[in-house]
Amino acid sequence: MKRLFLKCFIYAILIVFALEVYVRAFHLTKDYPSRYIDNYGVEKWVPNQSGFSVTGNRRQNFSEYHINNSGFNSYREYNPTKDKIEVALVGDSFIEGFHQHYYNSIGKKIENRIKDIDIYEFGYAGYDFADQLHLVHSYKKEFDLIDHVIFGLKFENDLTRGEYVVVKDRMRLETPLFKTLREIKILAYAQSIGIIDPVRKAPGKLISFFKGNNKQKTELTEEEQLLKDTENNKTYLKNFKNLIHLYGYDKRRYTLLIDKSKTPKMFLDYLDNNGFRYIDFSKALEASNKPTDLLYDKHWNNNGRSIIARLIADYINKN
Amino acid sequence: MVFNSLEFFVFLPIVFIVYWFFLKRTVKGQNLFLLLASYFFYGWWDWRFLSLIFLSTVVDYLIGLKIHANEEKHKRKLWLWCSVVFNVGLLGFFKYFNFFIDSWIDACHLIGYDIKSTWTLRVLLPVGISFYTFQTMSYSFDIYYKRLKPTKDFLGFAAFVSFFPQLVAGPIERASNLLSQILTKRTFNYEQCVAGLKLILWGLFKKVVVADGIAPIVDDIFSNYGNYPASTLVLGVTLFSFQVYGDFSGYSDIAIGTAKLFGIELMSNFKFPNFSRNVAEYWQRWHVSLSTWFRHYVYIPLGGSRVSKVKSVRNICIIFLVSGFWHGANWTFIFWGAFHALAFIPVFLMGRNTIYKNSVVGEHSIFPSLVEIGQVLLTFSIVTFSRIFFRSESITDAFNFIERIVSNFYYAPYYHPLGYRMVDYYILIFIFVIYEYIIRKDERSPFKFKSRVVRFIIYSIVIMAMLLFYDSSIDRSFIYFQF
Repeated sequence: MKRLFLKCFIYAILIVFALEVYVRAFHLTKDYPSRYIDNYGVEKWVPNQSGFSVTGNRRQNFSEYHINNSGFNSYREYNPTKDKIEVALVGDSFIEGFHQHYYNSIGKKIENRIKDIDIYEFGYAGYDFADQLHLVHSYKKEFDLIDHVIFGLKFENDLTRGEYVVVKDRMRLETPLFKTLREIKILAYAQSIGIIDPVRKAPGKLISFFKGNNKQKTELTEEEQLLKDTENNKTYLKNFKNLIHLYGYDKRRYTLLIDKSKTPKMFLDYLDNNGFRYIDFSKALEASNKPTDLLYDKHWNNNGRSIIARLIADYINKN
Repeated sequence: MVFNSLEFFVFLPIVFIVYWFFLKRTVKGQNLFLLLASYFFYGWWDWRFLSLIFLSTVVDYLIGLKIHANEEKHKRKLWLWCSVVFNVGLLGFFKYFNFFIDSWIDACHLIGYDIKSTWTLRVLLPVGISFYTFQTMSYSFDIYYKRLKPTKDFLGFAAFVSFFPQLVAGPIERASNLLSQILTKRTFNYEQCVAGLKLILWGLFKKVVVADGIAPIVDDIFSNYGNYPASTLVLGVTLFSFQVYGDFSGYSDIAIGTAKLFGIELMSNFKFPNFSRNVAEYWQRWHVSLSTWFRHYVYIPLGGSRVSKVKSVRNICIIFLVSGFWHGANWTFIFWGAFHALAFIPVFLMGRNTIYKNSVVGEHSIFPSLVEIGQVLLTFSIVTFSRIFFRSESITDAFNFIERIVSNFYYAPYYHPLGYRMVDYYILIFIFVIYEYIIRKDERSPFKFKSRVVRFIIYSIVIMAMLLFYDSSIDRSFIYFQF
């Protein structure tokens, strides 16, 4: 019996080691860039890092990223001037675009469509509207030189708070423990493909088994759900107003990039009635014959990014 | 609880350690613990249906004693029929009741009578009912035919009926094999445990990589067969052949491997059926525990092949139809069984049904001969064609699927709607077939290589492949659970 356990233990260690070698050799998991909080309290990537972003078990999506001097993923450095036309794209991972080669970003695609324009991409995974406005507010001097600023806004996700504070959960990923764990590539890979999820869910399952699975989740009625949504929407709108009050919002230069199909009418009416400009991408994505999302996550694929770039380029040309 | 779940990988080591460290002294202790573990394993899915297993256990235990106690043939037969009626009744109620009612309503509708279904029941099919009822029936049959003496050890018998590795999807054991092992004290055997672990690993590979890997493609093709050309439909049913094989044989390997960990040897259930040279050989290699069950308890009692040719053909038709019906309450399975009967009968009439009984393809050489390749491809094609019935939701769908193959007979490359990279799956199937060919002579030793380094590399590749094809978004239950 001892022999069996000893051998199982040795084999387990060796196999984990072999898997680590395979994952590294075939670059099956993504590299994690380091993040930090700058002097203004803005969370961003540590400048001048490069690496590869990987999606899917079998590297179905593989792309290189490059963090520039400003701490954002882009092939260019950001030096806004009065003379040139510059556009800033501010948003979350959709704008950040780790899932694409950094020379094939939305910004680069816009630049390919419009001559003599510089697109600055301020994308950062998890940025909500508070992060975005706080960033622009913190670097006001630089942003004042930029001709257009376009904010990616997902109504339901990005307006859950009315004031910016550093998101401590994200910064916890920079602790030595998490950094060390990320260096174990097989662990990072296992996490990315969802194989660790059952372990996370296990305690809950065990509890429900012993409780007899009797407790059903109380589903809200249609009316209750509507009431809840209305309340949430009111809160989000309040947060929006609060954020623009706190950090400022230049209606002449700033534009929102939104998915109208997922934005409540109440908010759209507010934008229309108060002179907020926005670009709606829902119809353009829907009209596409080819898929616009990646296979393993809901980020835009090359086709999706091209459509977004076209919409923004058309908007810039018009304005 | 399913074998490819986290719960099982917590459950198994705990049961293993308690079984060998604390209960190795007495057979009673081992059996009591096996019984409790098995009931927990089954109850994890739905504890209410434990009562059915318990009822089936009690009834067949008592009937076994009754058959043995009576010397008069008609009384013995009467008790045997009690067992058959009880077990088939259980199956009939939970599995076939709605089928008969619906078929009756359909038949009435055909002749102009419209009947509203007020009898149709909303009953959940208890997992594994087709397997454990057949296992308990085999006990009564064996006592009736005096191949076996009944046990008075109720605990042992209950552990035999509910032995968790094979409880929900077989192999369907015979009491003569499994019960005798259950009633004897097991002692720890290192080699047996190692062999068990290897089989578990190989079974998981077949399930997680082969079966679950290609499942989304098969699902898409069968769900949208009306939109695809013949080439895609043929691809779909071919991949389904590998899916169902990987799924079920994977389950059997894990079951056999798990049983080995507890010092118990289960019968082989799959012997590389994809390398069969005719349909008869296929049935000697596919779901062996079920096909031998039908042979021993239906075909031979009906006279088998020792009666006239006509009666033998009738017997063949009966066992294939019953076998088809065993798989599910749907006309698709009956057609599937009938198709196999039609494919089997010519082989039987030519006297070629047992010629490959003791050999494998490429028996004396590394590579198969051209004739063997042709035979294997032909058999695989026949079996794969029959799977259209097996996989389709209804008999209409099955015939529409076939009609579509004929009427849209052209090639177009297949692209999965979610953009799955198809080349990955073609390479996977190719490597799987080649590897199975290499190990084709011993289904119980999937990693039989002399070099320890080679073995280790294969283990690590197998585990890496599981990660490469793991998909957390798909339903990972086993296909044969529904039977």
